[in-house]
Amino acid sequence: MSDFAIMTVPDFCAADSCMASFKAFLNSPVGPKTTHFWGPVANWGFVIAGLVDMQKPPEMISGNMTAAMCIYSGLFMRFAWMVQPRNYLLLACHASNESVQLYQLSRWAKGQGYLGGEKKDEASSQ
Amino acid sequence: MATSKFQALWNHPAGPKTIHFWAPTFKWGISIANIADSTKPPEKVSYPQQIAVTATGVIWTRYSTVITPKNWNLFSVNVAMAATGIYQLTRKIRHDYFSEEQAAVAKE
Repeated sequence: MSDFAIMTVPDFCAADSCMASFKAFLNSPVGPKTTHFWGPVANWGFVIAGLVDMQKPPEMISGNMTAAMCIYSGLFMRFAWMVQPRNYLLLACHASNESVQLYQLSRWAKGQGYLGGEKKDEASSQ
Repeated sequence: MATSKFQALWNHPAGPKTIHFWAPTFKWGISIANIADSTKPPEKVSYPQQIAVTATGVIWTRYSTVITPKNWNLFSVNVAMAATGIYQLTRKIRHDYFSEEQAAVAKE
């Protein structure tokens, strides 16, 4: 129990300024009390879904959806930059999604034989 | 009269010269891709992706009515996303959990 007492204030950034910046975040115009926060949070679902799907075989990837996502995230990066107020969370989300979806698109294209890989007609075991 | 209305739209702050128009407009591509994929076998549907599409559609449907100005283009596209996402999910769930007898036979 004495260890617990030692681990209080000085361990990470002065507690006061931490609280202050956390409070500033909570009350910011793009913070968790506003819609500008939760919309982008929902869009992180695409990034997580993409990361999970990276473990699956390329035959499971939908070329339509992945290509649509690539264009969608490209446009929304620009949207996040231009919207008022500027939304860095949305920008980060779509930048990440763009990377993940481009990677998935390349896996799909290879699986289809477009990038010089061999076309696999059936789901093959590796 | 017609030209000035057209010009009003053309020069609108959320009009076709701006990203505020094209980003939501292109978001229709996701729903169109989903509709195109609705004929694919359910085994190829991805649970994480469709859950993300549905959740995004539902949350943004709500929030597009709360932002200023209200963006009905964004609203309608997210309604469509939620609808196609739910459709794909029900297809896959039906296939995985409600036709097990068929799946068990097919796997022989």
